[in-house]
Amino acid sequence: MEASEVEFLAEQEPVTIIPNFSLDRIYLIGGDLGPFNPGLPVQVPLWLAINLKQRQKCRLIPPEWMDVEKLEQIREQERNEATFTPMPSPYYMEFTKLLLNYAADNIPKADEIRTLVKDTWDTRIAKLRLSADSFVRQQEAHARLDNLTLMEINTTGPFLTQALDHMYKLRTNLQPGGSAQSQDF
Amino acid sequence: MFCEKATELIRELHRASDGQLPSYNEDGIRQVLEEMKALYEQNQSDVNEAKSGHSELIPTIKFRHCSLLRNRRCVLAYLYDRLLRIRALRWEYGSVLPNAVRFQMSADEVLWFNQYKKSLATYMRSLGGGDGLDLTQDIKPPKSLYIEVRCLKDYGEFEIDDGTTILLKKNSQHFLPRWKCEQLIRQGILEHVLS
Amino acid sequence: QGTKLELPLWLAKGLYNNKQKILSVELPTVYKESWRTVFSADANVVDLHKLGPYYYAFGSQMLNFDSPENAELAQTILQTFISRFRRIMDSSQNAFNEDTSALVARLDETERGLFQAGQKGLNDFQSWEMGQASQITASSLVQNYRKRKHSELDA
Repeated sequence: MEASEVEFLAEQEPVTIIPNFSLDRIYLIGGDLGPFNPGLPVQVPLWLAINLKQRQKCRLIPPEWMDVEKLEQIREQERNEATFTPMPSPYYMEFTKLLLNYAADNIPKADEIRTLVKDTWDTRIAKLRLSADSFVRQQEAHARLDNLTLMEINTTGPFLTQALDHMYKLRTNLQPGGSAQSQDF
Repeated sequence: MFCEKATELIRELHRASDGQLPSYNEDGIRQVLEEMKALYEQNQSDVNEAKSGHSELIPTIKFRHCSLLRNRRCVLAYLYDRLLRIRALRWEYGSVLPNAVRFQMSADEVLWFNQYKKSLATYMRSLGGGDGLDLTQDIKPPKSLYIEVRCLKDYGEFEIDDGTTILLKKNSQHFLPRWKCEQLIRQGILEHVLS
Repeated sequence: QGTKLELPLWLAKGLYNNKQKILSVELPTVYKESWRTVFSADANVVDLHKLGPYYYAFGSQMLNFDSPENAELAQTILQTFISRFRRIMDSSQNAFNEDTSALVARLDETERGLFQAGQKGLNDFQSWEMGQASQITASSLVQNYRKRKHSELDA
């Protein structure tokens, strides 16, 4: 998958906005939207929120977790634990990027948030590499990758699967009559 | 040594990485086929000899047979890898290939490309309840219906949705429907400008 | 009888037969005991490209010829990959904008493929982060064609 496709999936997630216009409920294949009343909070998919925000039709309410104190806690927990801790949203990276790029003025301490989320991401990716290495070193048969998000898996996935594939072939070599024999030249 | 020409064909494709299409090596293929024919004929007569008692010929027969198989494998790999590259062209360039690319193909490859084009078009027409659906569009999830583009070369007149035409002149900038210009961007005529 | 010849793998494989023994196969130097010791000491220092460049694939194919050393050979190839894995992964994931050519030059072809997969994942992510992922770009064929034209002009 490409990063832009992962982002596309994230854009279906709901987010709360406060519109400054009024519009009746609209009915779409993906679900109904609205009704929109000036000053009344309403939940819409992220893609619509960003589209409205770009046209200055609404104010965005950041998700609860997008808060310096909460993110500091998440970052510390991620640093302290050996396994992957659950993230506040399966699309925390995508949300952070999209909201900070298009609606930074609605998010208090946007720059600090950007840094905190990036720190957490870096910690998790370093962990992922560490566990991939010990997985390979110990020739494990399976690994638990609970709490990894799609974007994280997507960034390292092709490399890891290709590496494990290769290792599998080398391991079948160990058994006499392994797969190498069947490959004809 | 046998099979050297065949290996050369493979090397040729290996050197042209990144899906580039080098020109079809008609001469190379012909030479491999000739070698295969010679190997086959020699083996035929030696097999008859071997049957009438000359079993010392068997290793030689085996050697030629290996060379035959090797040649076949290389030629098939060469032809098949080229087909994959040619198929990718349909998705990257669209249905009309620039001459520079077409001249690299053999007559059979051109024929294959045209048939692939046709069956893909038939399939795409049948989608969406008969309305048709262009599967080569929106390879990446679109962000908006209209996009900003800059012309990289003089292209000439270009008709847009409402029937009006605009002039695509080098370095001019336009705001166009995404689906109209996606292919021109991939062909390197327009450049997608991110706001 | 008894002559030593260098044959391509495909031919040796085709002529090799356990029962008739038309030929026996000697392991290429890099798979022999002395080199196996080097690999098990520190596989990371070895220039596999120079020794290979298809170290893993070719080594796996050598197992087709019944040799008493097969078990050890298979083990060495696997362990070599395991000990080199970390460095390939780290450099392919960290190396954005850094010069990795020295490292890549020493990788075997399979490892290079892996390295490229790792770099692609990283580059895709970073271009997404910078907001370039949604940009429609010219096909790589077009870009290469243009590059070629430029270098022809330069020459």
